[in-house]
Amino acid sequence: MNKWYPEVFNEFKVVSVFDLLLEYIQEGRIQLDKSVHTMPVSYHDPCNYGRKSLKAFGKAYFEEGRAITKACCDDFRELNPNRNGAYCCGAGGGAWAMPFSEERVYYGRIKARQIVESGAHLLIAPCHNCRDQIMKSLIKEYDLNLEVKYIWELVADSLIMPNKQ
Amino acid sequence: MMYEFKVSDLAEEFGVHRNTIRNWINAGTLPAKEGPGRKYLMKFQDYQKLCEKFGREPHISPANNVSAKALGALEVSDVAPLEITGKKSEIAIDPSWADACLTCGTCASACPISGVDGLDPRKIVRMAALGMDEELVASNWPWKCTMCAKCEESCPANIQIIALMRKIRGKRARAKVPGPIHKGVAMCLERGNNLGIPKEDFVFLCEDLGQELAEDCCPGFKTPIDVHGARVLVTVNSKEPFGEPDDMKWWWKIFYAAGESFTISSENWEGVNWGLFSGDDEAMKTVVGRIVDNMRRLNCKVLLLPE
Ligand code: SF4
Ligand code: SF4
Repeated sequence: MNKWYPEVFNEFKVVSVFDLLLEYIQEGRIQLDKSVHTMPVSYHDPCNYGRKSLKAFGKAYFEEGRAITKACCDDFRELNPNRNGAYCCGAGGGAWAMPFSEERVYYGRIKARQIVESGAHLLIAPCHNCRDQIMKSLIKEYDLNLEVKYIWELVADSLIMPNKQ
Repeated sequence: MMYEFKVSDLAEEFGVHRNTIRNWINAGTLPAKEGPGRKYLMKFQDYQKLCEKFGREPHISPANNVSAKALGALEVSDVAPLEITGKKSEIAIDPSWADACLTCGTCASACPISGVDGLDPRKIVRMAALGMDEELVASNWPWKCTMCAKCEESCPANIQIIALMRKIRGKRARAKVPGPIHKGVAMCLERGNNLGIPKEDFVFLCEDLGQELAEDCCPGFKTPIDVHGARVLVTVNSKEPFGEPDDMKWWWKIFYAAGESFTISSENWEGVNWGLFSGDDEAMKTVVGRIVDNMRRLNCKVLLLPE
């Protein structure tokens, strides 16, 4: 978008899911209940929001996702390596939709090992691809005792609903 | 393996005149090519055949600390040695890569699928530098790569490996793009989303889900389709309305709780740009342009990127 429509940035704002969720949390527009997710939680850095964003826009979303996750859960654990050095889930680049499923599962072996080592029972993935790969493929293939949620799913499930009406 | 020789040496070895050797080369009976420094190159196998033909022992063997007898018959390799043709690559982004890439292999050790199909990012970079465009475009490897950028992040020479992968993907005939990606791109251009979901179905589904949500936990919620002047425009990943419609509700619930004014467009609502994956810049541009149009049409202030 930067490349083709630079003029739109004067017209409106473009935000990522992180920006928006953090805005709500920091401005107190939503209230979160930490007792919903008490299990050990970890966070998967999606390549597109981290490493590649850093390179393309000079800005990486590493801490935002963690801040949001920590606002919902107390027992937070890192995968190693993480942030800029994180391993891809194995389904990026459109691989989830391609016919090379053996390779895709093989690719995911590193991610699966990391998750087991972290001891997490809930993994937060901010990206559709990662979540599908980990939830629908890696858990089965590598026998993981794990739940996977989108970051907005985590937030939605932790919400304390305001008494409207 | 290539065997390098001087015409005079070969002539001496076989007891013929230098001109004879030259004649053989010119006539093609001795398949050799001119190499650097007035030397010639031929496949080692051809040299062996030549020796056999004239009943001679090859005066070198590929592992010359082992006697040829102990080695037994040479296995015939079916991979032709690569010839460097000086062909310019249309894929290599920068011709200086041939020097800039240190062939250190750091990228290959960072890549989770190094070794699959015998390839890794270092080899891909080198193939591009050597102008092996056809081989690259024909290979499925760049499609198995997830463009995760681990390789690029670790590269000391700053080679743009990801841009290279996209370029290779972009060069493949569109009909041969693996899986549904290209079909999705075509579909998105034609119908406004990757899976070709019709407008009425989409709107109906969204309203239905909104009702469920209202009954469940968000009293009074109504799915805002095409609401002019809403603050936030939300795009949708077509796999959700297609296969996991309930997944859309999490966001709506958050918006509801935050009291956000948001809207979804009834047309061109696709938020996933498969053109990025298939290496198709034109398609990508069109899809992005439509989202911009939606923003203008509905007069929204903030665009939420989907993932
Ligand atoms: S890490 Fe960079 S310099 Fe090293 S082999 Fe790979 S592309 Fe070449
Ligand atoms: S971007 Fe592709 S080549 Fe590079 S490390 Fe990831 S999978 Fe390997």
